[in-house]
Amino acid sequence: MRLAPRLFAWGFALSAVAVSAGGLLLDHIAAAKHVSGSGTVWLYPFLFGSVSVPAVVGALIATRRPRNSIGWILVLGALSLAPVLAASPYAWVTLRANPGSLPGGSWAALLSSLWPAFFAWPLAVAFVFPDGRLPSPRWRPYALFAVGSFALLLLVLVTAKRLEHPFSDVPNPFPVRLPDALALLRTFAWLAMFASLFAGTAAVRSRYRRSAGIKRLQMLWLAYAALLIPLGVVCFLLWGLLFGEPGEAVVAFLLGMQAAVALAVGIAVTRYRLYEIDRLINRTLVYAVVTAALGLVYGVVSVVAGVLVGRGSAWATALGAIFVALAFRPLRTRAQAVVDWRFARPRYEGLRRVRSFVDDVRDGRREPEEIGTVLAAALRDPSAELLFRLPASDTYANSAGHVVAEPPDREGALTPVEHRGQEIGLLRHRRDLLDRPDLLHSILDAASLAIEIARLRVEVRLQLVEVDESRARIVQAGYEERRRLERDLHDGAQQRLVTLGIVLRRLQRSLPHEAQVLRPALDSAVDEIGRAIADLRTIAAGVRPPRLDDGLAAALADLARSAPLPVDVEATEERLPPHVEAAAYFVVCEAVTNAVKHASPSRVRVEAMLADGGLRLLVADDGVGGANTARGTGLVGLADRVEAQGGTLVIQSPPGGGTRIEAEFPCES
Amino acid sequence: MRIVIAEDTVLLREGLAGLLEDAGHEVVARVGDAEALLAVVSEHEPDLAVVDVRMPPDYEDEGMRAAAVIRQEHPDTAVLVLSQHVETRHALELVGAGGGFGYLLKDRVLDVDDFLDAARRVSEGGSALDPEVVAMLISPKRQEDTLGELTPREEEVLALMAEGRTNAAIAKRLWLTERTVETHVRSILGKLGLPVSGDDHRRVLAVLTYLRASTA
Repeated sequence: MRLAPRLFAWGFALSAVAVSAGGLLLDHIAAAKHVSGSGTVWLYPFLFGSVSVPAVVGALIATRRPRNSIGWILVLGALSLAPVLAASPYAWVTLRANPGSLPGGSWAALLSSLWPAFFAWPLAVAFVFPDGRLPSPRWRPYALFAVGSFALLLLVLVTAKRLEHPFSDVPNPFPVRLPDALALLRTFAWLAMFASLFAGTAAVRSRYRRSAGIKRLQMLWLAYAALLIPLGVVCFLLWGLLFGEPGEAVVAFLLGMQAAVALAVGIAVTRYRLYEIDRLINRTLVYAVVTAALGLVYGVVSVVAGVLVGRGSAWATALGAIFVALAFRPLRTRAQAVVDWRFARPRYEGLRRVRSFVDDVRDGRREPEEIGTVLAAALRDPSAELLFRLPASDTYANSAGHVVAEPPDREGALTPVEHRGQEIGLLRHRRDLLDRPDLLHSILDAASLAIEIARLRVEVRLQLVEVDESRARIVQAGYEERRRLERDLHDGAQQRLVTLGIVLRRLQRSLPHEAQVLRPALDSAVDEIGRAIADLRTIAAGVRPPRLDDGLAAALADLARSAPLPVDVEATEERLPPHVEAAAYFVVCEAVTNAVKHASPSRVRVEAMLADGGLRLLVADDGVGGANTARGTGLVGLADRVEAQGGTLVIQSPPGGGTRIEAEFPCES
Repeated sequence: MRIVIAEDTVLLREGLAGLLEDAGHEVVARVGDAEALLAVVSEHEPDLAVVDVRMPPDYEDEGMRAAAVIRQEHPDTAVLVLSQHVETRHALELVGAGGGFGYLLKDRVLDVDDFLDAARRVSEGGSALDPEVVAMLISPKRQEDTLGELTPREEEVLALMAEGRTNAAIAKRLWLTERTVETHVRSILGKLGLPVSGDDHRRVLAVLTYLRASTA
């Protein structure tokens, strides 16, 4: 799809350059015959440059931005100018040096008289630079007038009675003549063309006034060159008036003007990074430098090796190739750095910043999460923000590790960051960075490893938070399950047993006198039911002590009462969040059970007091100590319970020194 | 005695009703939740409401809250709250707020005579407190304060007093004469620094107030 415009652009450009070169060759041939008006060798670079500069600049622009007419105007301008320039030596050769050697000599003489073509394409550029459109619809009549004036002038020149100097003696081969009655048209055509030149200048001026920032600078470049057009015309006319013949200096000036306008366009475009041409030139420069350097390396190595092992030896070639292979990468990096430093300072400095950061990360001097701020500095966009992609949830997180569900695109532009073909993040940045894709992408590429590391760390951190939360939820669900089970025991089985007991009691009371012997049996049955109920109550209390409903202090007092050894409890009467109360209760319960089982203490001391907005638990015994968290699952379970509430647990158990378990729970209220 | 029963388990409700009717009481209404309870109490103005603590919709402490409302709005209706387990959030406050209130574990019903006695006592303006609750008030660590000065016998008497029993009932229970019980009671009240009163109920309140104050 993009091949066609590229083919056309370079095809036209190369044709123009070829025609121009052919013209120079013909001029050289004519000069050999000492034909006057030819062989001014110092004009050759001007002649060649006036065609090749717009041709190449135009082709470059046209391939990058085929929809923008600027590139095509330059290419076609060069393509139209080249035959006009080449026609003159052709005519010299055909008509004067070797008469009849080539066909169409008089036609070439006619073509060479169409020199106003010099002004055609610069004028077109003046009207539509830099976006390829007129400044406003208001300019349409002026543009049409310019086109008309050039067409009229062309007509006047083609239908002239006599050809221009120096071929005024050659008969005009064009069959149609301008009638004498319309002689005034000739003057009018010239005046109209000059007027349109001034209109073009005015168009540049008007656009310059309305533009700002980089666009304004671009217009300034063109304005310099555009000023040359009328200036050149005025000089040309003055010279003609004073000396009769336009001298070679004037010709050189006119030719130089062509190249200057094309160069101005090229500079305006590359210097301000329009159409991504800077990237193209940058690459070209780097490869030119690398190729030259590699050639040098190859040559030196081959020669030196040739001297050592003998000229023409395969070893010399192989050695040269090896050196070239080895030198390629470092050379390329260095050449890129040099070219960047010289021609793309922001890119060079941005890359240096990112690379030194990556080194710092590797050496552990900086945290990879800082990559966001480093990118903002490297891109010189303080508003730039890096978002890490979380593939599991298809969301994004910022550097602080907060999930951003929807990447906001209110202001600025979003550029995806990729690493090994996977999207790893998004960069939100100023919109104008999109005009410098080379800067943006090379810096993102250099940073992609650091971004990936930071992303993985953020992801792991978020997953840990998720794990913590899910553990808390699981423990919470455990407490709720206990509560439900306790309810089921009390409201289910226990109720049924009570009901059964009542039935038996009523049966017992309604027994006829003669069946009184059954009374003791029924009594013992009801007693058994009573014991079953008491058992159930004990089990239910173990599952979840109903006294927890009365608060932690009440539940702990109950616990102390049912313990097989003296337990001193000091507990806050404050009500805490239910999950904290439950967790604290079971921690104390398990700690006391552990103490009774393993430490054979004489007393246990339990404290549950508020401290620093949290709950501080202490379970201390005077037993044998030496408890190991790794050995019994009981103590590990304690730690799990405490940590699930976001708390901390410290166990001190020196052998023979009793065991002291301290836990702290945060209590958000 | 005219009684209403609020209990959400139908079989248990019917069993309770049968038990009370067997004893010669009149069960004027049987309901399954607190709202209906308040309605039938307003309608029948019964002597006693036997109320389950946990009832629909939330199975929390609807019965206890309804009991507080009844004591407030219908002072002539006594309330006997039955619970599956000891939960003292409001029980002690209601007992302490003045007679006509009882709090028992559900399975005390199986000791039929005791249950009927508690129901009668409460409906007559007395109180009934479950031995479990009393045991909680007289906890082992209390051995170290004033309660430690009581003899084991006096402690037993104190517990029965706190349950709301009369001297006669205590005497019967402990196989003592009423005079002996009276001596113990006077001694206990003296040791705890409580005023001696002939009224059984006032005496219970004083004891409970003392126990609650020193538990907290």
